[in-house]
Amino acid sequence: MSRIVCKKCVLDSDMPGIDINEESGLCHFCETYVPFSAQEKSDYLEKMEELFREYGGRGNYDVVFALSGGKDSSYTLHKLKNEYPFLKVLAVQFDNGFISDNAVENAKKMCELTGSDYFKLTMENEVLYETFRKAAESRDAFPRLAKYRASDICNTCISIIKQKLIEEAIVQDAPFIMFAFTPGQSPNPIIPLKANFIRWSRSIFEKQLQKIGVEDKDEKFLIKNEVIESMGKEGPRMLHPLCLWDYNEGQILESLVEIGWNPPDLNDSNSTNCTLNSFACQNHLEKYGIHPYAFDIAGIVRSGDMSREEGLEKLHQALSQPLIEEAAKKLNCR
Amino acid sequence: MEPIKNDILDYLKDNSFMDTNIGLEDNDSLTQNGIMDSIGLLELMDYICEKYAIEVPEDMLTPENFDSLQGITNLIVKLVK
Repeated sequence: MSRIVCKKCVLDSDMPGIDINEESGLCHFCETYVPFSAQEKSDYLEKMEELFREYGGRGNYDVVFALSGGKDSSYTLHKLKNEYPFLKVLAVQFDNGFISDNAVENAKKMCELTGSDYFKLTMENEVLYETFRKAAESRDAFPRLAKYRASDICNTCISIIKQKLIEEAIVQDAPFIMFAFTPGQSPNPIIPLKANFIRWSRSIFEKQLQKIGVEDKDEKFLIKNEVIESMGKEGPRMLHPLCLWDYNEGQILESLVEIGWNPPDLNDSNSTNCTLNSFACQNHLEKYGIHPYAFDIAGIVRSGDMSREEGLEKLHQALSQPLIEEAAKKLNCR
Repeated sequence: MEPIKNDILDYLKDNSFMDTNIGLEDNDSLTQNGIMDSIGLLELMDYICEKYAIEVPEDMLTPENFDSLQGITNLIVKLVK
């Protein structure tokens, strides 16, 4: 059967697991999609503000913020501090061994502009390279749904960031952890993290690492058990405000450039900060036939924040061969 | 209990790219059988809380209660009562 593209988003019948209803011309996700109403978004934002007022000002920081230096997290930090200037923010940039110099400069600049503290989370490059190489060589370490959300390499990297940010929030007694997830990436704008769940998600990631062949005995990637033991039953809340705000990539880039954020010199349509991304995408496409940004882009298009044409163009843009070769060399992959 | 179990199974098939032909036994682990990760669990929990108008207390959020069709079904039955 010939390839059919969903009439509303960018998912198509050639992607494993995607069925297009021949009558409606829509994929299952578009058929069942119920977007947040304006009222629901406003209620969530009100709830977030209530939480800031109720739990803020108690610990060393109010928010531990995942700042990659890319456009989404830079924009979210800037907007957050504009709207809630009273929040004390620790912005954590994870140096995964592949962040561009430009992303580091941008992250530092955004912290200066917003009065946030900057912390660069570093690990030994060789350890990271070996881990990402094993993730690239692995198959099925992550569940099927996760394979649609991100590549195996990105899932590994994002999981490390989540584990270490939760750890940092507990150590700093910060009530909130914030990620700049887009409407296509974020399941829920407010997620309370309970001690039991933190323990369980640690155990899930530990097993995923084992499946790719990594034993993290020193807890370099996993939340330290002693930190979990030191917390009460109530953990920090994970917040995703970007999925409640209007999202327009062009306008976001324009507003960032106006305040001094430097556009990246990376030739990667899906990342403005990571030089491993193109390799990770190619690796995922080769292994599973799934473009790891398809679901994310489809979500943004479905929510009306990006035109379908723009989404399709982004999805089918060729990956950067020089970036792929550079990353393969670092990882010692073919 | 069967309607609840089928409802959860339908949710998994519709939302997690789970193979519709997969033979998932009642006590099979969702996280160890490549069906759910921690994000998926949070989404499933949201769905259950909304659908059955329940709140899951912190001490019940454990693999015993939430990592299999049977565990989730038992949990819902207990909390709905």
